[in-house]
Amino acid sequence: MLGEFEYLLLSVTARLGDEAYGAAIRAAFEQATGRRCSVGALYTTLDRLEAKGLVQTWMGEATPQRGGRAKRMVRVTARGARQAAQFYRTVVRASRGVSWETTRSLVR
Amino acid sequence: MTGVVWWLVERASALLDAEERDAVRGDLAELNVAAGRALREVVGLLVRRQLRLWTDWRPWLALAGLVIPLGMLLSLISRQWANTNSIYAWLYVDNWTWSYIETAGARHDLVQICGTFLLECVTLVCWAWTLGFTLGSLSRRTIWVTGTLFGAVLFGGTLGSSTAGLRNPGNAAVFSLIIYRDGFPTLVRTVLVLVPAVIGMRKGVRQATLPLPWALISAVAVVTLTALAAPSVKVSVTWGWWSTSGEGPAIRQLAQLRDSWQLRLLPMLMVWPVAYMVASATRRHWRRQSATA
Repeated sequence: MLGEFEYLLLSVTARLGDEAYGAAIRAAFEQATGRRCSVGALYTTLDRLEAKGLVQTWMGEATPQRGGRAKRMVRVTARGARQAAQFYRTVVRASRGVSWETTRSLVR
Repeated sequence: MTGVVWWLVERASALLDAEERDAVRGDLAELNVAAGRALREVVGLLVRRQLRLWTDWRPWLALAGLVIPLGMLLSLISRQWANTNSIYAWLYVDNWTWSYIETAGARHDLVQICGTFLLECVTLVCWAWTLGFTLGSLSRRTIWVTGTLFGAVLFGGTLGSSTAGLRNPGNAAVFSLIIYRDGFPTLVRTVLVLVPAVIGMRKGVRQATLPLPWALISAVAVVTLTALAAPSVKVSVTWGWWSTSGEGPAIRQLAQLRDSWQLRLLPMLMVWPVAYMVASATRRHWRRQSATA
């Protein structure tokens, strides 16, 4: 089972498609979640996902915008897509019949 | 200020693998991350990487089997030998008279003392180099941590303790001079232990295993030197680790162990890095032999 951060990274990476690399994933993640994503969290999680066979990474081309440095490109593998879909279905199933707006007001 | 922080980012990211360094520095440049945050992030990544490396057994073996016991032993031995040779240096350098070489007996003493000093220098260098090599070989990617800890143990291992020679009022004339009290032990530790250990670490990180003939030559040299220095190792641990407050060894039990078999076996500890070197060289040799067969 994936962790929440792992699932979010897989989702963002899948959405970016061929344009998925470190900086782009990080910017898309922060825009989508409103949360900060440090370089340490990003790259160590990508390593973990790659070790599990859920993503594939390789060094891409360098651009002047990056000071002539290469990008670490990322692609979600078929296995990664299956696990992300399973995570999503589990969250949807577990959330069925739950209204968080109502629950929050009940706790208050 | 920002320039200094970016320089620190550059230095810190140099500890990452080449490809990862490129990707990380490129991402930081592309996202226009401020210098302070960039430094925090790179250091954070380094810490995460180190923590992951420490889930392996090798760095722990290097720490528990080399850095702490042998670092401590080298710390004690180097200080004790420096102190002993300080007394001779004071005698023969600061108070030189031609009578030291007038008689055959006096000349013999001088030659013997110089020979012992040289032997101790070579022994320290060999121990430190083999320890450094094994440390580099065992903890290649954690060498910055284990190497720094080795330096800390080497220089800090004897803090809060003294030596019998230093506490002996008869040696007050020698050790009232800062050059002999503090300068010479620091010089010995730096030049004869730290520098060869760092050279060994660099070699161990790059090469991991020595060719078998070189490993065997190193083993013969270290075993011979250790056998010659064995009595002095025992002295260093007891007389060279004196309490600063009371009279006696820093660890009281050492006084009772002075003539025990445990202390007699202690010099064997200095041989284990070279034993590891021979074992790994032999394993590689046989693997190659069986691969070509």
